[in-house]
Amino acid sequence: MIRLEGVVAGYGGGNVLQGVDLEVGAGELGCIVGPNGAGKSTVLRAVSGLLKPSSGRILLDGEDISGRSPDAVLRCGVTQVPQNNGLFPTLSVRENILMGAYVIRRQRALVRKRYDEVLDMFPLVRAKTGIRCGNLSGGQRRMVEFARSLMLDPKLVLLDEPSLGLDPKSLTVIDEAVAIMRGSGKAVLMVEQNVRFGLRMATSGIVMESGRVLLTGAASSVLSNPEIAELYFGGAVHAAPSS
Amino acid sequence: MSALTKLLDPRLQTWVTRALVVVAAAVIVLFPLSPSISAQNTVIMALVLAIGASGLNVITGYTGYLSLSQGAFIGIGAYVGAILAIRIPDVPPLLWVPVAGVFAAAIAMLLGLVTYRSRGPAFVIITVAFLFLAQFVAIEWVPVTNGTAGLTLPLPDWPDAWGNWPFHLVLVTLLALSLLMTWAIRRTKFGMGLIAIREDEGKAGTIGVNAPVYKLLAFGASALFVGMAGSAYGYYLSFVDPIGMFSIITSALIVLSVILGGRGTLFGPVLGAFIIQPVNTFANDAFGGGNARLVLFGGLLVLLVILLPKGILPTVAAWVEKARSKGTVGLSGSRLNPLDRPLAPSDVKRPEPTGRTLLEVRGLHKSFGGNHAVNDCSFTVPEGTITALIGPNGSGKTTVFNLISGTMTPDKGEILLNGERIERLSPWSRAHRGVSRTFQITRLFREMTVLENTVAPLRDFSVRQLGLGAVSGSEAARATELLEFVGMAAYRDAQAGSLSYGQQKLVELAQVLMLDPKLILLDEPAGGINPTLIERMGDLIRDLNAKGTTFLLVEHNMPFVVGLCDPIRVLARGAVIANGTPEQIQKDPLVLDAYLGDDYLLEAPSKSRTSANSPAVERNPA
Repeated sequence: MIRLEGVVAGYGGGNVLQGVDLEVGAGELGCIVGPNGAGKSTVLRAVSGLLKPSSGRILLDGEDISGRSPDAVLRCGVTQVPQNNGLFPTLSVRENILMGAYVIRRQRALVRKRYDEVLDMFPLVRAKTGIRCGNLSGGQRRMVEFARSLMLDPKLVLLDEPSLGLDPKSLTVIDEAVAIMRGSGKAVLMVEQNVRFGLRMATSGIVMESGRVLLTGAASSVLSNPEIAELYFGGAVHAAPSS
Repeated sequence: MSALTKLLDPRLQTWVTRALVVVAAAVIVLFPLSPSISAQNTVIMALVLAIGASGLNVITGYTGYLSLSQGAFIGIGAYVGAILAIRIPDVPPLLWVPVAGVFAAAIAMLLGLVTYRSRGPAFVIITVAFLFLAQFVAIEWVPVTNGTAGLTLPLPDWPDAWGNWPFHLVLVTLLALSLLMTWAIRRTKFGMGLIAIREDEGKAGTIGVNAPVYKLLAFGASALFVGMAGSAYGYYLSFVDPIGMFSIITSALIVLSVILGGRGTLFGPVLGAFIIQPVNTFANDAFGGGNARLVLFGGLLVLLVILLPKGILPTVAAWVEKARSKGTVGLSGSRLNPLDRPLAPSDVKRPEPTGRTLLEVRGLHKSFGGNHAVNDCSFTVPEGTITALIGPNGSGKTTVFNLISGTMTPDKGEILLNGERIERLSPWSRAHRGVSRTFQITRLFREMTVLENTVAPLRDFSVRQLGLGAVSGSEAARATELLEFVGMAAYRDAQAGSLSYGQQKLVELAQVLMLDPKLILLDEPAGGINPTLIERMGDLIRDLNAKGTTFLLVEHNMPFVVGLCDPIRVLARGAVIANGTPEQIQKDPLVLDAYLGDDYLLEAPSKSRTSANSPAVERNPA
């Protein structure tokens, strides 16, 4: 589904990504973990077109999408749920979700059909379509963001630290949403600092360090790799479960 | 080494820049040698424009307030000079130049008062109104200004052979002084405070920057030399009238010069002025001036914003920087060696509770429209503790933080710090009293370096402090120490905006530590940082706490809270619903229902690291 080959990218002060290779297939969830500043969010920016790689290829279903503008990447079927709250607080839930279909707004029938499909997937959101997003709790907001990201029926969803700022009770919405996405055959590429939480949901774990992929493997094997656990998840993480 | 890399050598560049500045300065100083009177005239007007732009740079480039009334201070200076020259004929008119400058600066400070309540587009509109007000006064105050007929100044009494030299040299001197002032401001605490205000005025308040005083002084400084230049210019024209002196075109040209050359750079506005003024002269000659110029400069402004939004100098600097760093390896986070963690003893002694209450919140209320975000909230933070404030999303935790740090004022209720009521104090007064905070979504000054961010906080306010160097040696040493403490020393000279979210969190912690606060409010310190760093953050907090700092923190990572904090306050729907030790809180049915969830299960991690590998029960979030 999505494959990165030797991607090099940076913000002007030198390259942050120094040749990143990774792959996530349809229905799979790849979770990128690693120290702060290792380039995890930068990988997502490169894929979504916000940052142009200086070399390397980003293949979506075999087609190279590297260097395309963000809206072109969006049209190819890649949507992103950003790190910080990206909803329009004065618009209603319904309006916010419809914003997710902005690039196909002329195809009214299709938008209506997708909207119904998305609400079927997220029954909790259906109950709140008239409410202004500013009045929702953090977990509900995240749920609306997930719903919005599916309006284009994407092939790939990028999640940037979905657990950030969520209270323990609300973390379950992420599990539900990710299960829904994977169930409909989408690939999910996620960055998550809450390593145990992220890897438990993921199919594959991608460990990054200093702008490179250090190792990739089944999420469970990454999680149980003692060296990795010591270095990245904090040796004492056993006493600090995720939720 | 290729020829290109040689060209990009920073030392060579410094010399090239210096050589260019010297050549440009020589050409400008000696320009009256030119035989063309019209060219001389253009250069004199360009000098006036450059002084205006250089002054505007202080409030627009450094402080972030765009003003369309800068031209008014040329007019005010010209009128002051003209009125004095006519009423007191025995004194050479050029001697009134400093008086005109001081007068213009005083008026500018009055305008600066407006920024207390408005910024952004609203402020721009007010500056336009101010310009028209100045013009109105010049038209209507006939006994002094002679109304629309204007004032005619005496002709210069120096020999004809001197030509324009006296005017020219006065203006060149004023430009040099103006540049010297902008250069000096950038290197003082004053300038750093102004940049902090530009980047994030709310945040600047919470780290102790007394924004209103800074802005007033900045407005005064921005008009000082402009008023002087206006006075010399009025004498040069030998005629001063309301329409010519308070034309909005002058202000627009000044703004255009600053944007074209580069906001916030030393020489950018001057460069801009020396490009814009010849274009202006050309437009006057070729299209008959007047409204044609409005169209021309309106179009130019649009083009500029599209093609060169940052201005000439910053764009060139970015090109050079890009070419230089091409293919190099940027700083990126590497593994945190567990050995790098501070070697704090595994059981850091908690300070003995003093029994005193450091912070008390009583009956606090805050509504946004019909939404009661904080609704009769009361709790205490005992001195020497790490107190946690937990609660579901939307329960009002961050609003409580905003009320305590002064970012918002409460509708009702009291906040006491050491028994003193602080709820009506400004954010910077609270910071000076020892209350500091971090933000959930970090708010560093993105255009400053990590080091500058760390030294920006101010522990008190004094006029003397404004003139101190921006980064003194001892402060830099202390800041570096703090950056080492949070593990960010390697990023000292990186731009704060280029850091990742987690790294910014750590820098923000170092930043508030610079205030040596009594009470630190941390908004989700463990959010978005990796688990090794969470451990380290916990160690840092314990370590600081052992040295006597009290903490109040908002956090969702329950293991982190349970392992670190005592006591815990639980907030729901804007009020505190439970108080107590971690053990009590985790069993409280109210808390389980509102926050943790019925299936919550957590074995509290032992506070010492030695038992870290003991098995623990984990709650499956699914």
